Amino acid sequence: MKKLLTGALLAAMAGTAQAEDVTLQLKWVTQAQFAGYYVAQAKGFYEEEGLNVTIKPGGPDIAPTQVIAGGGADVIVEWMPAALAAREKGLPLVNIAQPFASSGMMLTCLKETGITAPADFADKTLGVWFFGNEYPFLSWMSQLGLATDGSAGGVTVLKQGFNVDPLLQKQAACISTMTYNEYWQVIDAGISPDDLVTFKYEDQGVATLEDGLYVLEDKLSDPAFEEKMVKFVRASMKGWKYAEENPDEAAMIVLENDETGAQTENHQKRMMGEVAKLTAGSNGALDVAAAERTVASLLSGGSDPVITKAPEGAWTSAITDKALQ
Amino acid sequence: MMWLVGAVVFWLAAWAVNAAVARSALGRTRGGRVFVPVLFGVTVLVLWEGVVRGFGVQPVILPPPSLIGAKIAGSAGVLWADFVQTVVKGALSGFVIGVGAAFVVAVAIDRVPVLQRGLLPIGNFVAALPIVGLAPILVMWFGFDWQSKAAVVVVMVFFPVLVNLVAGLQASERMQRDLMATWGAGYWQTLVKLRLPAAMPFFFNGVKIATTLALIGAIVAEFFGSPIVGMGFRISTEVGRLGLDMVWAEIAVAALAGSVFYGAVTVVERWVTFWHPSQRH
Amino acid sequence: MKEKALPVLAVLGIIVVIWYAAAVWMNATWVYDQAERAGTTVSFAEVVPQTMAQDRPLLPPPHQVAAELWKGVAGQAVTSKRSLVYHGFVTFRGTMMGFALGIVLGVALAVSIVRFRVMDMSVMPWAIISQTIPIVALAPMILTVANQLGIDSREVPKAVISAYLSFFPVLVSMVKGLRSPDQMQLDLLKTYNASEGETFWKLRLPASMPYFFASLKVAVAAALIGTIVGELPTGAIEGLGARMLIGSQFGEPLIMWAALFAAAILAGLLIVAVGIVERVARKRMGVPA
Repeated sequence: MKKLLTGALLAAMAGTAQAEDVTLQLKWVTQAQFAGYYVAQAKGFYEEEGLNVTIKPGGPDIAPTQVIAGGGADVIVEWMPAALAAREKGLPLVNIAQPFASSGMMLTCLKETGITAPADFADKTLGVWFFGNEYPFLSWMSQLGLATDGSAGGVTVLKQGFNVDPLLQKQAACISTMTYNEYWQVIDAGISPDDLVTFKYEDQGVATLEDGLYVLEDKLSDPAFEEKMVKFVRASMKGWKYAEENPDEAAMIVLENDETGAQTENHQKRMMGEVAKLTAGSNGALDVAAAERTVASLLSGGSDPVITKAPEGAWTSAITDKALQ
Repeated sequence: MMWLVGAVVFWLAAWAVNAAVARSALGRTRGGRVFVPVLFGVTVLVLWEGVVRGFGVQPVILPPPSLIGAKIAGSAGVLWADFVQTVVKGALSGFVIGVGAAFVVAVAIDRVPVLQRGLLPIGNFVAALPIVGLAPILVMWFGFDWQSKAAVVVVMVFFPVLVNLVAGLQASERMQRDLMATWGAGYWQTLVKLRLPAAMPFFFNGVKIATTLALIGAIVAEFFGSPIVGMGFRISTEVGRLGLDMVWAEIAVAALAGSVFYGAVTVVERWVTFWHPSQRH
Repeated sequence: MKEKALPVLAVLGIIVVIWYAAAVWMNATWVYDQAERAGTTVSFAEVVPQTMAQDRPLLPPPHQVAAELWKGVAGQAVTSKRSLVYHGFVTFRGTMMGFALGIVLGVALAVSIVRFRVMDMSVMPWAIISQTIPIVALAPMILTVANQLGIDSREVPKAVISAYLSFFPVLVSMVKGLRSPDQMQLDLLKTYNASEGETFWKLRLPASMPYFFASLKVAVAAALIGTIVGELPTGAIEGLGARMLIGSQFGEPLIMWAALFAAAILAGLLIVAVGIVERVARKRMGVPA
């Protein structure tokens, strides 16, 4: 009898200690940009917190904001401009942590086009990503006073695909690149850095916050969910810091998680090295000044601003305050 | 709840009306033929509106038709520009080039049995390929504007039409061909008077498939790079912005354009193959 | 056999020659640009070998594609994530699910459309309209709805997208086929006092079979297209479509071309399989081949 009771008690305890499920939706395909989460999973950091995390890779047709709205994820990796735009559309997203301290976005131009400063963009063709990633570019252009509708004196905007071909084929004078990815593809393709001119959004003072963790506001009022997110952020940041210190190992972990089998070690290791530079300044807590800069930049969009009014409650330090104690 | 019940009641009532109209003499008239599918479409919209409102589905998941309608009315200019870019410049020009080329090639290789034997298996094979996969490559080759979209469409529509037409050219019966021969008809006369007409039902099967492929091809290609106008561009951008009402507005325009396109082909088909049993009702 | 193969081989040979010429022509621009950036000039004789072995050629020459394809098919264990056989199988599985779903849907709709006038009048126009809706736009919607319904499988949305494309050719051909018996034949059955069911089973259905099988080839190809398109939005995780995307994104055209040819081979196998089924069925039904 006693044995039975103990057994039942143990079973009950095991029940309460059962791993909590968390689904994370990434912004793009499996790559070192998301190394921290894969490392946290592979190294058992999530498990230590009692979490069972499912990482869903993204793709060209997946808007993380829509996935979370549809209940397909608990937490998403998204860029702040897209998240704020979604918030204005009625999807109450809240930033709970910001692993990326600085922006890795830049415009890379061929030197032979004669571009030396942003003022030279006029009447040139620029490649830009859309799908929610165009907001930083649009607000930069409107600050420069360059029209993006193709009118004279403005810039011609191309929606670039998923690679750097427009620059190599000279279909565009400049294309959008990330420090950790596309820029190196241009170099790999055989163009020397001397033949390129790059403009980092960070240097131009138009940087907006990139990969952050976002959840739905109403779910956050549930203490159980909040607790789960505290654990999740804590473990994720542990993963990020581990990845920063062991970039090669982190890259290999990412590679193991790449189910397409098409990614290469070379790319991922280099990407990890560059991503580490962006996450280096962050312990996970959002720098409110940077967030306000992002908002200001987005609001200054001239006739067609990305967001029309400053958001309220779009970020909270409640999670990181507890997670980083 | 009211919304749901109302929608279901409307559905049942509409179905009863449709069934009655279809059975009655009214169903044979031109008006009846338009009325029934329209009522069916309206029913679907009412159901949609009812379900979205009844279950409180968020507009960022599925906007109700009323919201989409408002969006269409409110952004006619943008929709028109996208339509011209994608349908007129990309899909239509590609379609005309592709179908035209397929027709010429089919007739040309009909005369040369060696080519037919060599090209047909390859053509059959290529017709089945997922040409969509070529889209990123063709965009790289032909640039970002509509030319690359037209190129994708050409490749997509060429082979289905070719294969169908070549098969159709073999469709006339031996006896009919012998009859033509006894009348002393030459190759071209037999081709124009017997074999091409006999091939038309097959040809139009291919062309009808090509109409739907043309739109898909033009839109998919915009996915891999485009200027900042076009239906594919707008759709992929607005999904990222959660502008789902705009996405559905574009879908509605695409559906409308595609239907008109298909309808036009059907009218031509009816006119050309009036003798075929399938045209009798 | 020899007589059949020779023309095909000749045409293939011509294609390969054109391909090589095009590869030289298209890839040369890059070599000249590079030389210009380096401040040197190159002669045509120096250019040609350089166009044959680029890392990211505009048009890879056939042997580069073949080597990459061979590496992906034979150079890996078939269970490896780097194996094209593995990814081909993932795509094949999705295609078959979509194909089966498409056939069932297409035949069922065709039968009810031919049988019920109200179905013909109300559903047929919308079936056509359904095909004009760009599936790429619907794909994320299908995913979201699947998520809402609690379906977490990656296969289901893929199969739905695939079936969405493949049901239509079956439907169109079946409607045409079921209506293909001409008035004389229908009248004959009427004089035999055949019931509607008998007319359907003994005349309409057999008459529709050539149309049905002709449509299967198109339908299986459409199912494959649907699956590949569906492999992009469903997370670009596995399958040939995902590899095409990754190849495009990471500037590895060879991966993209190899995936494309793997898809072509898969398509070829599917067509041949459908062709065999068709021939067997025709023989059984006593239709002269």
